[in-house]
Amino acid sequence: MTNRILLIITLLGFFTAITANAQETIQKNGNTEKIKGTRFIPYPGYSGSPYLTDKFVVGEIEFLDGIKAGNLELRYSTYRDELIYYNAVISAQILIDKISLKGFSFTDDKGETRVFRRQYYIGLLHEERFFEVLSDGKVSLLVYRKVDLETCDTSYNKFGLAFQPSFYYYIYTADKGYSPIKMNRSSLLSKFSKPNQKLVKKMLRKNKVLIEDEHSFISAWNLIKDKEIEIIF
Amino acid sequence: MIRITIQIIKNKDFNVKRKLLILLLLFVTLAGKTQERKYFSLFTDRNLYTSGETLLFKIFGPENESSGIIHIDLINASGKKIVEINKKTTDHQADGFIYLPDSLSSGYYLLCTSTRNNPTLTFNQIYICNRFTGIPEAGTAIRSSETMIVAENQVNDLEIKGINKTSQTRSKVQATIHLPGKLLSQIKGNLWVSIAETISGYNSESFLKSIKPKEDQIVEKDGVILEGFVKDFKTGEPFKNGIVFLSIPDSIPRFNFYRTGSDGYFYFQFDNYYGKIPVVIQGLDPERKRLVKIVLNHQESVPAGISSFENWTVPPELRKIAAQNIDALTFRKIFNQQEITIQPGSRPKAEAYPFYGVPTSVIDPHPFIDLPDFTEISRELLPGVKFRAYNRIPSLQVLNSAMHAYFEDPPLLLIDGIPIHDLNIVKPLGSKDIDRVEICNGERFYGDLAFPGVVAIYTSKSNFSRIVESDDLIKFNLDVIQPAAQLNIPSEKLQNEPDLRKVLLWKPSLKPEETVRLDFETSDIRGSFKLLVRGTTSDGSVFYKEQIFEVN
Repeated sequence: MTNRILLIITLLGFFTAITANAQETIQKNGNTEKIKGTRFIPYPGYSGSPYLTDKFVVGEIEFLDGIKAGNLELRYSTYRDELIYYNAVISAQILIDKISLKGFSFTDDKGETRVFRRQYYIGLLHEERFFEVLSDGKVSLLVYRKVDLETCDTSYNKFGLAFQPSFYYYIYTADKGYSPIKMNRSSLLSKFSKPNQKLVKKMLRKNKVLIEDEHSFISAWNLIKDKEIEIIF
Repeated sequence: MIRITIQIIKNKDFNVKRKLLILLLLFVTLAGKTQERKYFSLFTDRNLYTSGETLLFKIFGPENESSGIIHIDLINASGKKIVEINKKTTDHQADGFIYLPDSLSSGYYLLCTSTRNNPTLTFNQIYICNRFTGIPEAGTAIRSSETMIVAENQVNDLEIKGINKTSQTRSKVQATIHLPGKLLSQIKGNLWVSIAETISGYNSESFLKSIKPKEDQIVEKDGVILEGFVKDFKTGEPFKNGIVFLSIPDSIPRFNFYRTGSDGYFYFQFDNYYGKIPVVIQGLDPERKRLVKIVLNHQESVPAGISSFENWTVPPELRKIAAQNIDALTFRKIFNQQEITIQPGSRPKAEAYPFYGVPTSVIDPHPFIDLPDFTEISRELLPGVKFRAYNRIPSLQVLNSAMHAYFEDPPLLLIDGIPIHDLNIVKPLGSKDIDRVEICNGERFYGDLAFPGVVAIYTSKSNFSRIVESDDLIKFNLDVIQPAAQLNIPSEKLQNEPDLRKVLLWKPSLKPEETVRLDFETSDIRGSFKLLVRGTTSDGSVFYKEQIFEVN
């Protein structure tokens, strides 16, 4: 009897798999939104890394219409603020058109999910940028992970050029825009009114959060975010 | 030892009991499922039509139907499809219309409802009288003699109030439908209410037929699927790994492609496209060594022998009403009275930029001196484009701006958004023929396709008439999802015109409430009219209530 039940379950599973597979074939082959881009030309071999990750990592992109394409080999260029995708079918590194994307995400080698969102930046330069979302909510904590090409000692690099990280942190709301912030305690406190600063200090002290780096700043931010204390832009 | 043995036996008994219980539950579940309606219930506004009129229909689908698209075909007695309609369902219901062509000869026709996956076809028989010839003098017609008739349940506790047995022509009527609480709690989806002319003693019936559904298991969820087949032109064998291009010309052209498998089949799904859209399908061998032929998988007729037919004598009353209907339709045509208003169908949101990328440069040739052909245009106006015709053999190359050299392979060449491979088509295009040229200097990718640069020519006529159909290129207008329509009610300003409506009220999707109010006005047509309320309950069965009244 058990064998029969098992047989029925196996057959049901088999038919379900066939149905799902047929639908998947048409979805994958004909009707998914296609990735648009140009061929990626590798950067010259200066010192440092122009990429956020050492190698291609598996990730997901989200198109403008909200459709997502997953299981892609992605690499984010912090130097040019570009997303590169490796297409194994045609063995090509493709620079995905930035304007075709809403954002992307991937899991880094530490197992952490990194989420990037394309947003229009109005500053000295007006441009579309990929911001990493460190904390999302009514007020988002974003970072623009820029790597600049700077001069260095020729003993360090024969061309005398090296990629130097130069990250820009912001707090952001859709109506108020961007407000720069630094990953330290005083910068965080400056975003609150005097009475609220005391509250924030107390909260950090109570939760034993010491702001030393990006990671601890995010922890502090998430702690304050939940209390909905007014933030000054 | 004995205790342990008894315990084991008890455990075994328990296991057997448990399995039996599970099997019983499974059986009960399956038995319950089998009682659910698995076919479509199709209803029309009337049973007798005149060619040139509009037929309105309502469909109640089964709850377990996975397809979101229903196909409704008007077929003749030999099974040939005359009109094909695709409707998108909402809560397993759909409603629409069919323009009955003027040229239809008098006789019985079938409306066939189907989906890609449902193994049961629902047929509905209607009589259409030709508006020029009327019903033939012979007095007989061939009609379906099917016996697998779909039964319905009339609910007696649903009350229709406010309708007298007789009403005056052009009189305003206020009716109410009272739904009992028990029925109201069981209703699934919306109600359909119609008031239309009826002929006593003459009813068309629905019948069901089983067919073998498609084996590909592909479900049309949000849009129509266009399918076809690529074969080797010489051998006729299915073409594996062939590429099929789908182009939809538009202000920003749409494009898609499909790589065929070993069976040579291709599928394109047109999600949320409404109305009629121009479509170009092209097939090609990616290695450009072999010629291919594209065959669209479209059935011109339903399978032979789908229905049996018998001779039927046309009753004299039907003949009389048909003659009156012809007169009424003629007047409606004279006064240009449209039966329905089609609501504009939505289209998928326009792309932000063309599939071939944001152009590096866009050239409008009109501000410049008139140039006679594309060789001159490329030479004088197009940066990084080399179009030459050495020994009368044209060639096209685009500059790869990243490498500062021309690509060896020809670029993707488009005319009005449609890829073309024959350069002779663009050769004679002069300044007057071209609206603009968009160029992408650089290698572009679209999915797994790589294009060594792009030259997109948009012609002044923008009707892609220069692209000629061939074995590997088909262009046609594709009927996608039919947009919604509304019954026209004449305004009070047109009191001097005759009101010859045969359908007084058509509410295909009414929200079920305890009391539903219906306001309508009778027309100048005298005769019997039927108010029909239909809906489905949570167990999938269709219920109805009707009330007939006379208009004098």
